[in-house]
Amino acid sequence: MNGRRGLIGLAALVVSASLLAASCGGGSSSSSGAGGSSESIRGQTITVMVPYDMPQKLLNEFTAQTGVKVNYVKLGWDATHTKLVTANAAKVYIADVAEFDWSFTGQFAGAGWVEPLDTVLPKPLLENLKNTDAAFSANGHTWAACYSNDFRVSMYNKKMFAKAGISSFPTTFDELATDVQKLKAAGIQYPLAIPMAATEGGVTPWYLLTLAMGGQLFDNNLKPQFASPSSAGYKALQWEVDALKNGWVSPGAVSLDDTPTFDKFTAGQNAIVLATGPGNMPTANDPKQSSIAGDAQLGLVPGMTGPGSSFGLPEGLSIPVTAKHKAAAAAFIEWWEQPKNAIAIYHTQGSLPCGADALKQLSDTGQLQGGAVVTAELPHVVPLFPSGAPIWYEQFSSDAQGLLNAAVKGQMSVGDALNQLSAKAAAHTQ
Amino acid sequence: MRAWRNREGDRSAREAQVLGWLFVAPAVAAVVVLILYPLVTGFKQSIRSGGFLFGEKPGYVGLRNYKDVIHDPTSQSAMRHTVEYVLLAVSLEIVLGIAIAVTLHRVFRGRGFVLAVLILPWALPSVVSGVLWRRVFDPDNGMLNSVLMQLHIISHPQVWLASGRGAIFYITLVHVWGVLPLISLIFLAGLQSIPDEVYSASAVDGATPWRQFRHVTLPLLRPSIAIALTVGTLLAISIFDEIYVLNGTALNTRSILIQVYNTTFVEADFAHGTALAFLLAVVTAVFGGLYALALRRATV
Repeated sequence: MNGRRGLIGLAALVVSASLLAASCGGGSSSSSGAGGSSESIRGQTITVMVPYDMPQKLLNEFTAQTGVKVNYVKLGWDATHTKLVTANAAKVYIADVAEFDWSFTGQFAGAGWVEPLDTVLPKPLLENLKNTDAAFSANGHTWAACYSNDFRVSMYNKKMFAKAGISSFPTTFDELATDVQKLKAAGIQYPLAIPMAATEGGVTPWYLLTLAMGGQLFDNNLKPQFASPSSAGYKALQWEVDALKNGWVSPGAVSLDDTPTFDKFTAGQNAIVLATGPGNMPTANDPKQSSIAGDAQLGLVPGMTGPGSSFGLPEGLSIPVTAKHKAAAAAFIEWWEQPKNAIAIYHTQGSLPCGADALKQLSDTGQLQGGAVVTAELPHVVPLFPSGAPIWYEQFSSDAQGLLNAAVKGQMSVGDALNQLSAKAAAHTQ
Repeated sequence: MRAWRNREGDRSAREAQVLGWLFVAPAVAAVVVLILYPLVTGFKQSIRSGGFLFGEKPGYVGLRNYKDVIHDPTSQSAMRHTVEYVLLAVSLEIVLGIAIAVTLHRVFRGRGFVLAVLILPWALPSVVSGVLWRRVFDPDNGMLNSVLMQLHIISHPQVWLASGRGAIFYITLVHVWGVLPLISLIFLAGLQSIPDEVYSASAVDGATPWRQFRHVTLPLLRPSIAIALTVGTLLAISIFDEIYVLNGTALNTRSILIQVYNTTFVEADFAHGTALAFLLAVVTAVFGGLYALALRRATV
């Protein structure tokens, strides 16, 4: 009898322990709060989630300076967004410092998933980043500190251009058409590399072409501007469809995202990448990563009568509201933004710094690859959404990915795809 | 004395009952925490508005999200594609699965080796097999274009995953390639459970191999067919990895689960995403129930 009672007691203990464990499992930990002193953060370990590599040597330097250890997690860009959305919606901890793309601004700020950084970071640092601030601002706050000053620029293979007898990169779409024919005649089967898959990377070229052809996607009231056949957005998509039909672009581009497209360019299969980031120059000219090392050059994005407009896709660092060590996270962002570190990171992972000081140092010391073109492209860079990415940007992008991809595959006409996209976009603003 | 014994017996039975409940309690707790709670929370999510993210006032909206997703053209085409994936995949798996099982049921030299090789695609994660097949279908450097052009079957490279029906067929082939080993093994186990005496008796009666297959093998394989149909259907309804790796979220191959993923995690529209997921769960449960019924009838 006593044995049975003992067994019941043991079973009750097991059940209680299971229930206690279950009830405690999802509990949130206390946060240290932003703005703590360096002494209070010493000994903490932060998780940093960014889609690019970081040399351990640099992270060790941060640890030596602050006493904060870093668990650096590199994820693919698309996976980063999915994981952040899932964790933030569930209000569970995912990282102390997290990737924040320009396209997250409306969604993440609107949902209150990240801490406003203008109340955490020092004023001089924010002032130094003000060129890219608009991309991360919404509701009167700055939600991320820019670390990758990415904007669209063209890249070409100068050896292939020389072989085709072309001396400089075309500045207009007419010149581009002529040069593409020359490149084809010189034996380059598909001179242009343009990603057209149903991905974010696949719609970016359409955004760029729309701006380069002198248009905008939306007006100041966020009304779509691309459904009319006379609009730049319509002409841009038609241009992509024609580029496929004319054999300027490989037919396989319809299922290629931006990274494999760039890989084909660095493998020597194409002569021109119409839209890429200046930060890709070190990779394209690195013999370990590229078959065309030494031949990759930057070119200004072509336009209708001269170089066309481009747009920025900056990426920043944010502190999720669920972060455990917010002060240490802020210290890490401050450390990253120091010109010395931002330049070191540019040389290792290719992220062009955003801070004016770091950019000036890079330019003054001749370390900026393709520096003259980068400097010349900057005045042409305009925001895709002048008042910041709207809260429904991810829905718009998702719709655009499917519909533009259907148009380039010939499953839908350009007009039908853009009319549907326009109607869906207009519905968001009603 | 007797009354005392009865009381002692009652207490004993009660304690045994309590003990039984205590032992199953962790399992019940796990089901409640891991299945029932998410189900209830998910359902509550599916009948609420998209909320502040989409400029709506938070609150319950009844079945409006369900109506929205049912009437959404993108969800409708994803549903159509899913039906096509299921019909195509299950048909191929049943026919090829039986054929492979009948072949492997015979004793021949190297049968063990063939069985080991057969299981390999099942052992590979579907993402990995998707990546492998992407190299086969690649329009620029793919193996399929290269082989067909060398054999002069096609004159220029094809973009295999660009067309509607074609792309669904090729993606289904990749899915079937991964699932077929399991289905074949289910049929092989079914064949091995049929007594040899049944075949001997039918042979004595003059049955040809084809008549034996039609009138002996197939009827006795009914339980295995029901299991294979259940497994094949459930796996095909939840097809995701192969599509995502081979063609991303392209409209021409988008399945219902890709649409759920896109709506929920890309667009952060959890209300419509969970509504769609619940619809899928209901359909899956109906199929599961029907097959369970069929299995019961086949075995009773």
